Amino acid sequence: MSKTKKSNIGHYEVLFIVPNRFTEDEAKQVITAVEGVITKNNGEIDYREYWGKKKLAYEIKHNAYGYYALAEFNADKEAVALINQELRLSNDVIRHQIIAKRVKSEEEIAKAKAIQEKINARKKEEEKLLKEKNEKGENDSKEKRSKKTETKKEEKSDAKELDQKLEGILSAKDLI
Amino acid sequence: MKNQKTKECHFCVNNLEVDYKDVRTLRKFINFYMKILPGKRTGVCAWHQRKLATAVKRARVMALLSATHK
Ligand SMILES: [Zn+2]
Repeated sequence: MSKTKKSNIGHYEVLFIVPNRFTEDEAKQVITAVEGVITKNNGEIDYREYWGKKKLAYEIKHNAYGYYALAEFNADKEAVALINQELRLSNDVIRHQIIAKRVKSEEEIAKAKAIQEKINARKKEEEKLLKEKNEKGENDSKEKRSKKTETKKEEKSDAKELDQKLEGILSAKDLI
Repeated sequence: MKNQKTKECHFCVNNLEVDYKDVRTLRKFINFYMKILPGKRTGVCAWHQRKLATAVKRARVMALLSATHK
């Protein structure tokens, strides 16, 4: 809709790994340094996360472990490119990934809330139905026990038919 | 038989967003060889399957998931 953008500023998220050769305190210093890089390029950090030391799924530059940290920030495109470049050249960060995050409008948040409420209501209904079904199932099994003298194959087919009918009825109820 | 049980999209039904940092859920959509499972098998809708594929690839970049099973 808007080819003439009002502002070049977007919301971004960066996840980066600090190598294991640092101690935890040193790693935290590195993290603050990285945050400094972001703020230096006019980025506004509004969310931080520190995951601590984690095992990497594969070795990166002979590091089996690393400290993960996450930051969300607002910045314009050129600034993000600069931040990316700086992190790429840094020896204190073995890997990083900057991702554009969509900011939800209030309408979308309201919609999501409404959907969530609907889902919760449906779950409750489903639980009720499940309980009813289980009760019916118990009755069926009792009947089966009483009919032990009859041939098993016939019983099975009967049970299947019954189940199908039951399901049909239940689904019909669902539709209403 | 498995297909019939999980016919609905996990993300649509539960109103979830695909997040590449959430390795636990990503695991459900990957096989033993760490390959992305087809949407047909997992029941994920086409729109979320696309998000899921990029999420898995992003997780691989950050060593949250390995690219092979070794
Ligand atoms: Zn979906």
